[in-house]
Amino acid sequence: MMRITINGKKCTARYGETVLQVAQRSGIRIPTLCHHKDLSPYGGCRLCIVDMKGKQTPLTACTLTAEDGMVIKTDTPRLRKLRRSTLQLILSEHPSACLICEREKDCDNFQECIKKSAVTFGCKSCPQNNKCELQDLVRDMDIKDLHFEFRYRNLETQRDDPFFDRDYNLCVLCGRCIRACHEIRHAHTLEFHHRGPKTLVGTAFDLPHLESGCQFCGACVDICPTGALRDRFSRYDGPPERTVKTTCMLCSIGCAVDLNVSNGKITCSTPHKDQICARGRFAIAPIVNHPRRITKPLMKKRDGVIEVEWDEALECVSQKLREHRNRTGFLFSPQLTVEAAENIYALGGSLSAKLAMPFLSNVPPRPLALSEIKGKAAMIIVNTDMVGDYSVLLLTLRRKMKDRATFIVIDAFARPSDRFADTVLKPNPGTEQKIVDVLCGPGRFPKESGISAAEIELAQRLVKGKKVYVLYDPSNSVIEKSSKSCKTFPLFSQPNALRISRMGFHCTHEEMLTSKNIDCLYLVGVAPKLERKYGTVIVQDCFLPDFDFDVFLPAATFAETDGQMVDIEDRTKRVRRAIEPIGRAMPDDMIVEAIARAMDLRLTKKSGKRKIVTKRATLRKTNRAYPLRLIVRENAYTYRGKTLSAILRGFDRLRHDRSAWINENTAKKFGLRDGARATIIGRRTSFIMPVKISSYLPQSTVLVFDHPSARRLKNEPVRLECTKS
Amino acid sequence: MKRRRKTEEFRLHLLVCAGTGCVANHAFDIKEELQKEIARKKLSDEIGVVTTGCQGFCERGPIVIVQPDGIFYQRMKKKDIPHLVEEHLLKGRPVKELMYIPSPREAPVPKMMDIEFFKHQRLIILRNRGRLDPENIDEYIGFNGYQALEIALTRMTPERIIKEVKASGLRGRGGAGFPTGMKWDLCRREPGRIKYIICNGDEGDPGAFMDRSVLEADPHSVIEGMTIGARAISVHKGFVYVRSEYPLAVKRLKIALSQAEEYGLLGKDILGTNFDFDIEVVQGAGAFVCGEETALIASIEGKVGRPRQRPPYPSEKGLWGKPTNINNVETWANVPMIISRGAKWFSSIGTKTSKGTKIFSLVGKINNTGLVEVPMGITMREIIYDIGGGIPQGKEFKAVQTGGPSGGCIPKNMLDLPIDYESLTQAGSMMGSGGMIVMDEDTCMVDVARYFLNFTQEESCGKCPPCRMGTKHMVYTLDRKTKGKGREGDIQFLESIAENVKLSSLCGLGQTAPHPVLTTLRYFRDEYEAHIKEKRCPALVCKDLISYVIDDKLCGGCTVCAKNCPSDAISGEPKKIHTIDQQKCTKCGICITVCPPKFNAVKKVSPAVK
Ligand SMILES: Cc1cc2nc3c(=O)[nH]c(=O)nc-3n(C[C@H](O)[C@H](O)[C@H](O)COP(=O)(O)O)c2cc1C
Ligand code: SF4
Ligand code: SF4
Ligand code: SF4
Ligand code: SF4
Ligand code: FES
Repeated sequence: MMRITINGKKCTARYGETVLQVAQRSGIRIPTLCHHKDLSPYGGCRLCIVDMKGKQTPLTACTLTAEDGMVIKTDTPRLRKLRRSTLQLILSEHPSACLICEREKDCDNFQECIKKSAVTFGCKSCPQNNKCELQDLVRDMDIKDLHFEFRYRNLETQRDDPFFDRDYNLCVLCGRCIRACHEIRHAHTLEFHHRGPKTLVGTAFDLPHLESGCQFCGACVDICPTGALRDRFSRYDGPPERTVKTTCMLCSIGCAVDLNVSNGKITCSTPHKDQICARGRFAIAPIVNHPRRITKPLMKKRDGVIEVEWDEALECVSQKLREHRNRTGFLFSPQLTVEAAENIYALGGSLSAKLAMPFLSNVPPRPLALSEIKGKAAMIIVNTDMVGDYSVLLLTLRRKMKDRATFIVIDAFARPSDRFADTVLKPNPGTEQKIVDVLCGPGRFPKESGISAAEIELAQRLVKGKKVYVLYDPSNSVIEKSSKSCKTFPLFSQPNALRISRMGFHCTHEEMLTSKNIDCLYLVGVAPKLERKYGTVIVQDCFLPDFDFDVFLPAATFAETDGQMVDIEDRTKRVRRAIEPIGRAMPDDMIVEAIARAMDLRLTKKSGKRKIVTKRATLRKTNRAYPLRLIVRENAYTYRGKTLSAILRGFDRLRHDRSAWINENTAKKFGLRDGARATIIGRRTSFIMPVKISSYLPQSTVLVFDHPSARRLKNEPVRLECTKS
Repeated sequence: MKRRRKTEEFRLHLLVCAGTGCVANHAFDIKEELQKEIARKKLSDEIGVVTTGCQGFCERGPIVIVQPDGIFYQRMKKKDIPHLVEEHLLKGRPVKELMYIPSPREAPVPKMMDIEFFKHQRLIILRNRGRLDPENIDEYIGFNGYQALEIALTRMTPERIIKEVKASGLRGRGGAGFPTGMKWDLCRREPGRIKYIICNGDEGDPGAFMDRSVLEADPHSVIEGMTIGARAISVHKGFVYVRSEYPLAVKRLKIALSQAEEYGLLGKDILGTNFDFDIEVVQGAGAFVCGEETALIASIEGKVGRPRQRPPYPSEKGLWGKPTNINNVETWANVPMIISRGAKWFSSIGTKTSKGTKIFSLVGKINNTGLVEVPMGITMREIIYDIGGGIPQGKEFKAVQTGGPSGGCIPKNMLDLPIDYESLTQAGSMMGSGGMIVMDEDTCMVDVARYFLNFTQEESCGKCPPCRMGTKHMVYTLDRKTKGKGREGDIQFLESIAENVKLSSLCGLGQTAPHPVLTTLRYFRDEYEAHIKEKRCPALVCKDLISYVIDDKLCGGCTVCAKNCPSDAISGEPKKIHTIDQQKCTKCGICITVCPPKFNAVKKVSPAVK
């Protein structure tokens, strides 16, 4: 413990603390702008200057490490003057007419600038109005007029990227976004450019974020003290009236997010404390408020699909279920609350209906033992897009291992974003286990993998003497542990995997959809491809399916639902409703309860019959007629069976996950251009998709993200044909 | 080992200066021609031609010196060479026409050491300038090179070395003048096994070429100094950060490094003492601010070269977070002499607080531009009038800017100021890296302040608002004044921004940037006031504040001006008085140059006539 004196007050300082931290802990306010508690000290804005005894020139409190016996003054007339002058200089490059307007208050009343000053220059049109740290500083320092000529940068707002706009006219060059991107996200997308008064923030070569390795995590947007970076969806919503902490159910990590609510509307979702990803940041509010969302019950009648009252819909459903009973099949999404899943089980159980397993893979999930992982360890990542799908997990892993981790990526489809890894191996699909074997235990050199001995040796050196954890996507390959020093974990991107798999299933999706014994389908948050006609199809969802149904029950999103979710570590987390369900939508668990009530059933918790059996994928050989292999990967960017890109355009641009990915040579061979529509033909079925050409893909493969038709051709040989439009 | 031709084998040596100034004036052609001519006269076995680093007297390049006679030939042309070889080298008669002639009425000065420019200099750092071939280590060793290293490594403990450097009173030559021995000691005391030393050769000041000259003329002295420093601080890895615009310095440094390594003076087990030390050359990123130590470190680390707040100082947390000692090229080059001749000798030169010598680059309105090394404590007058030969065309001296673009302007009445760190700081300027820009009576001080500030403004890294925007607003204000739009209160306004920039900026660049404004305000306030109140530029420089007029008493009506005026602003008939239409005049000044001297009728006046 060290003692330092600030403004005559004795304070205790912990080792390594800065003077700013000590002051803040002791309730002494020092103005700051470039400082942020989660970022490294920067010392750029010069507002936190303090005087130290024995030093002529002021020092910045945010960079000054406290030392025993220091005597600090934070509020002398000289410091006040310098700070005010610095803030004036900052305001001279930031549109600030409104900041100092004496009739500021009137604008709120008249909804218009009373002075008719250019509104683009003022706070009224700034998305950060009332949230802006500059406004706070101006108020605190009581700045009443501007000393310097205002220098407008006159830059165009950059709107070409999904999710957020960037108006660098408002940037005060605090560097917070840059540090967040580098230090917190390790994305290295942003950097300063140019020098002197021309300094600007931007991406390398001014490329769009989409081409600069941006994860669209929004960390920069949320850390920006000004309105320079703005969430496009909520830019004019102002500060939230309240926030509701809930758990994001878009993937199995289950991040804590704050749902921002204004005027009874969810405006956006921001990280509660820690980090979140593009889905958690930019998908939730747009889904909840989506214009195509259906919030009223629908029924198919003789004259088409019409809106009905809940009573009528429930009546109809209960009648149909009674009719079909054990010839009913339930398919449901894992992205429902645990309560909803349990109710579906209970309803299905009391009808003796069939329940299908909602995962693409049939490997039993296992909790990811994150608490075990620490210190020096080697992580082998197999067939998983760590940066795209599990960015938050990757950050957690890095933090746990204090950046001493070794990462090895084994993936034929390794992406440019995988450069976080110490080494990347791109083996032929299907040989991943052999490589894991040779890296962690007894195993012979896997010649068939196509990896050179030198690369294997390098990887062997990297893992040598370390505890090895293998994280893999189970949808294609099953990786088993090969020695005692190695543990394997299948990564399920969908929430609740652990909980649901314990409840058991009767069959897989495929089996259910091909079964002859099913007359009635009850679909909750899934959108399969229906191959035949059914007696009854009941859909409980947020968006319309692309097939015919008899009844549509409008479900609430998880943001409008109370309940629980189980994350990848098997921890149960609370899901909280932030607002009442929009329209007449209802939470899934309540809908099922209402059906049970209408049928006079008591919902008893009952398990299914079959557990998951691990099946190793067999890769069928390609041949002359079908020269390519179709690899289907799980899509971690979905909500209730729909890919996010089908609902939100931003995700489509980010992910291109509704396209079939092929490399240039394959494209040339089949005469396909980027974006052209191709028919993917296998022995059992065929489907049409646009192609996306990318140089990092291996030869002779087609990569498709989980897609109802593709599932039937998984791991099969296929060929491509150009589709005439 | 490669055999090199030994220096002693020749009867005469021709030392061709290959400094930048001379090379730009075709020194290499001269050398080639000399060699050809010598071969033609079959003197190749008796006379050697070598290139040397900068002699300092760049004004008079290309320069050839004949040794051992010490005859100094200047402004050599290719066509002079046959004559020179014939007369001097063959017949032993030095050629008067090629010697230095101070002024038309004076006699030529044959010997280098008799020339005023050289007479007053005291060469310690540049001791080897122009006397050895920088690409040949044998010559450096021939002049007692690497003796200091041997002494330091075999006969002194690290503590003893530091004590000696402390006792010598050597202070950093890169700007701030921090005592070098103390800096080394701080770094040595820092815990940790891995430490680094860096030689700062970024030299971003416009017009400065001290470090370049040392690196080009005598790279081994820097290497030797660094190796001694490495031993003192216990460091095994050093970096020389050289400005990217100095390819010759990089080349010579690299040659010197490989030769030193070849001779066992660098690398593993130096001189059999079990001490390892390696030096790596890093080329700069090309920004002025990269010379600032924390920015330089970031740049070596491969990051964007932007300064960061100190503390922690590099000696605590430097390159890759390790304790790092960083010194200027010139600082390092002093070290061998301190070790070999002793601290006592070194500290006998200079003033109470500033010991040794300092290299200055003398540029601007001065007769002898060039590089000079002088003892600390010499007066400005000696440098400008004795060494520099005064102001050209008999004009009046007005001020000298010391310390580079962020130094200050020192006026005429301070010419007798003895130069050292403290006196310059007191005068509102600084030593900086040693640039001296001399200004004559035709210089407008407001314009000068604007010029320097504009430079720092553009070179600011943009990290902190006082420097990024403060300098910009100062430039705006100064600009306004030179355009006749100065306002009441501008001076106070400038002073208040200057104070903020000086006190609140993060790094030295911002902290010193207001110097030119503050010193000119201090010494030439009347000029500012004239600009603001009377819209008058006393030096007749600011275009918007002057007019060209024809004096009707002097005009001879020759029509030359009217014929030459590109904007047809002059009217008048032959033999009649001409007048300039101020509405049409673009102030190009052609009329003043074409008006025949016998009339000399065109005048500049300020304030501008309407
Ligand atoms: C803007 C700026 C530019 C600088 N440029 C140089 C330079 O070009 N060369 C140099 O040696 N020092 C330069 N310095 C000073 C260095 O930061 C550092 O003080 C010096 O290298 C220390 O060496 P010394 O103790 O030998 O003087 C500069 C400082 C600032 C603030
Ligand atoms: S969204 Fe995330 S990854 Fe993209 S620039 Fe901002 S911080 Fe970096
Ligand atoms: S965009 Fe925002 S966070 Fe980034 S430097 Fe500018 S003001 Fe700071
Ligand atoms: S990582 Fe998963 S839980 Fe976290 S914000 Fe993204 S989608 Fe939501
Ligand atoms: S003072 Fe200037 S050069 Fe130094 S950090 Fe600040 S902006 Fe950059
Ligand atoms: S908060 Fe310390 S300099 Fe910006």
